[in-house]
Amino acid sequence: MAVDKSAKAARGTVQCENTTLHLLKANDFVADSIRKEMSEKNILVINMVSSAGSGKTTLLQETGRRLKDELNIKILVGDVETERDADRLRDVGIDALQIATGGICHLEAQMIVQGMEGLDLEGTDVLIIENVGNMVCPASYDLGEDYRVSLIATTEGDDKPKKYPKMFLTSDVMVISKADLLPHLPFSVEAVTNDALEINHQLKVIEVSSLNGDGVDAWSQWIKDKVAEKKEVLVG
Amino acid sequence: MHEVSLVRNVFKTLEDEFEPEEIDRIHTVRMKIGELSNVEPVLMQNAFEAVKMDQPIYKNITLEIDYIPTTVSCHICTATTRIYNYKFICSNCGAPTNNVITGNELLIHQVEFQDQLV
Repeated sequence: MAVDKSAKAARGTVQCENTTLHLLKANDFVADSIRKEMSEKNILVINMVSSAGSGKTTLLQETGRRLKDELNIKILVGDVETERDADRLRDVGIDALQIATGGICHLEAQMIVQGMEGLDLEGTDVLIIENVGNMVCPASYDLGEDYRVSLIATTEGDDKPKKYPKMFLTSDVMVISKADLLPHLPFSVEAVTNDALEINHQLKVIEVSSLNGDGVDAWSQWIKDKVAEKKEVLVG
Repeated sequence: MHEVSLVRNVFKTLEDEFEPEEIDRIHTVRMKIGELSNVEPVLMQNAFEAVKMDQPIYKNITLEIDYIPTTVSCHICTATTRIYNYKFICSNCGAPTNNVITGNELLIHQVEFQDQLV
């Protein structure tokens, strides 16, 4: 991205106010261009973030099975290496593309642009981005999404919101996954919900079990509602 | 976070903004780093020193960091509250609020130059 050089004579002290030297400016610029393009194409974009192993891919497999006859779903999946998660999603009949970040711990907007070029977005209703498993860095990178969804698995412990507040501050939905294990674990849904709402009172909380299917309908319905809302905005 | 790549971003940002002979005369870069930016000031300083060792053209630059606390502005009563322990609640009226006004900063806010060498 070309940046105009300052016309100021660089002598003494130069004040750089108006956040013109914001370090994530390049990312935010690309993210805004994605948001604009996807609005024009009428495609809902969801960015899914969580720790490694919290069940993002498994939930998306189940979501795909339920919704693939109703919605045209595309998935971009970020990992440091391998095609495994994209393979798992293609196994259930979803059009998925792997982004291998090659060591980078998060996805950046530019990687999404390149990923989008590899997908046929014609007729797509929703693009779901499965971020790299990491509760820290992905919180700072806008990918041009309409909604950010954090997953927290019951096996992770219920103190995640207070440990990784920015993730929950910037999310719209918190999905509590692996809910079928709740009877066996010292995990309090009430405590995790209270902690998360203290950080972000607008968070929507959904409990799911990808294994027995509980809650997956509610989660799928949320996606369908948001797809419908996005299309309404365009028509309106 | 990934402080080394952020430091590279600092230098890239300076190169975009200033001419090479101006960069030679920079002695201090002041950054604002917000509590919510997920960046640790100490690690940022360490990364800055490490990148300087790698790129001697920046060897005379000192990094100074202002750490910015999290504050919110209540959308109901408009009071400003300093947030502790990530409890996003207005201290004046008790309403939950996440209308962040400071704390997300990750920016260079001041660059100091030595006078022109003649």
